[in-house]
Amino acid sequence: MIEDIVKEKLGKRVLNWVKRNERRYYIEIRKEDLEESVKILFKDLELRFSIASGVDTIDNFEILYHFSADREDKFFSLRVKISKENPEVPSISGIITAAKWIEREIWELLGINFTGHPELKKLLLPESWPEGVCPLRKDYNKNV
Amino acid sequence: MDKGKILSRSIWVFHFASAACNNCDIEIIDALTPRFDLERFGIKLVGSIRHADCLLVSGIMNEKGATRLKFLYDIAPKPLAVVTFGSCGASGGLFTNSYNFYGPPDKIIPVDAYIPGCPPRPEAIIDGIVKVVKKLRTVRCVM
Repeated sequence: MIEDIVKEKLGKRVLNWVKRNERRYYIEIRKEDLEESVKILFKDLELRFSIASGVDTIDNFEILYHFSADREDKFFSLRVKISKENPEVPSISGIITAAKWIEREIWELLGINFTGHPELKKLLLPESWPEGVCPLRKDYNKNV
Repeated sequence: MDKGKILSRSIWVFHFASAACNNCDIEIIDALTPRFDLERFGIKLVGSIRHADCLLVSGIMNEKGATRLKFLYDIAPKPLAVVTFGSCGASGGLFTNSYNFYGPPDKIIPVDAYIPGCPPRPEAIIDGIVKVVKKLRTVRCVM
């Protein structure tokens, strides 16, 4: 089954393996192992990169990378936790070109820096929006 | 020669969707396709504002959408009927406290008819078209 193959190939990098139901698996990894894990899932196992989502939980930031196994109808999500003092994570746009735009969106709305990204500039917000103000953070107050 | 009365026989519509969730856009297509069939009255969607008799606005206005809506209204040939679609067009819907909400469309351009609903049923859209046709034939629209 595909989930056994994924678990075996990721090996020691898996910190936590959660099976929500028959189709949904959440895998927690450290951010240092991110590039290799993405290479394993994308290049060796040929899963489809669906989207990435960024969350501001009050203690830290989290980014989930969602991969889809279309023939077996299962979804695998890689969860990476990032500290709030120095929000940085390596960019995966060298491996997956399609990740460039979603990383720009997470950068402008949550303020997480993607090291190694070729052009990190605004995607959705207007040009007149002030720099450094991230609207999707929990401590954003629009009246200030 | 009353231009409004002549245009009311077959209204060509330009659809402008800015920051919309797209449910309203789906309902517009539902109203025009053969089940409710508004195309039998000659109402169709056009590709350019220069060919349009009616400007249909859906979605909320953020800063990018508001500048483009003003520009579209300025270059559109008059007489023009402006219709806002859904509760987002009437007042902003449930997004009024959002960080990029600029204002409802009637703060930017004058509006002739409102179609309420989230999203409006095709029957409500037909009722809105009846309002627009009556207004074009009796009262003067934007000239």
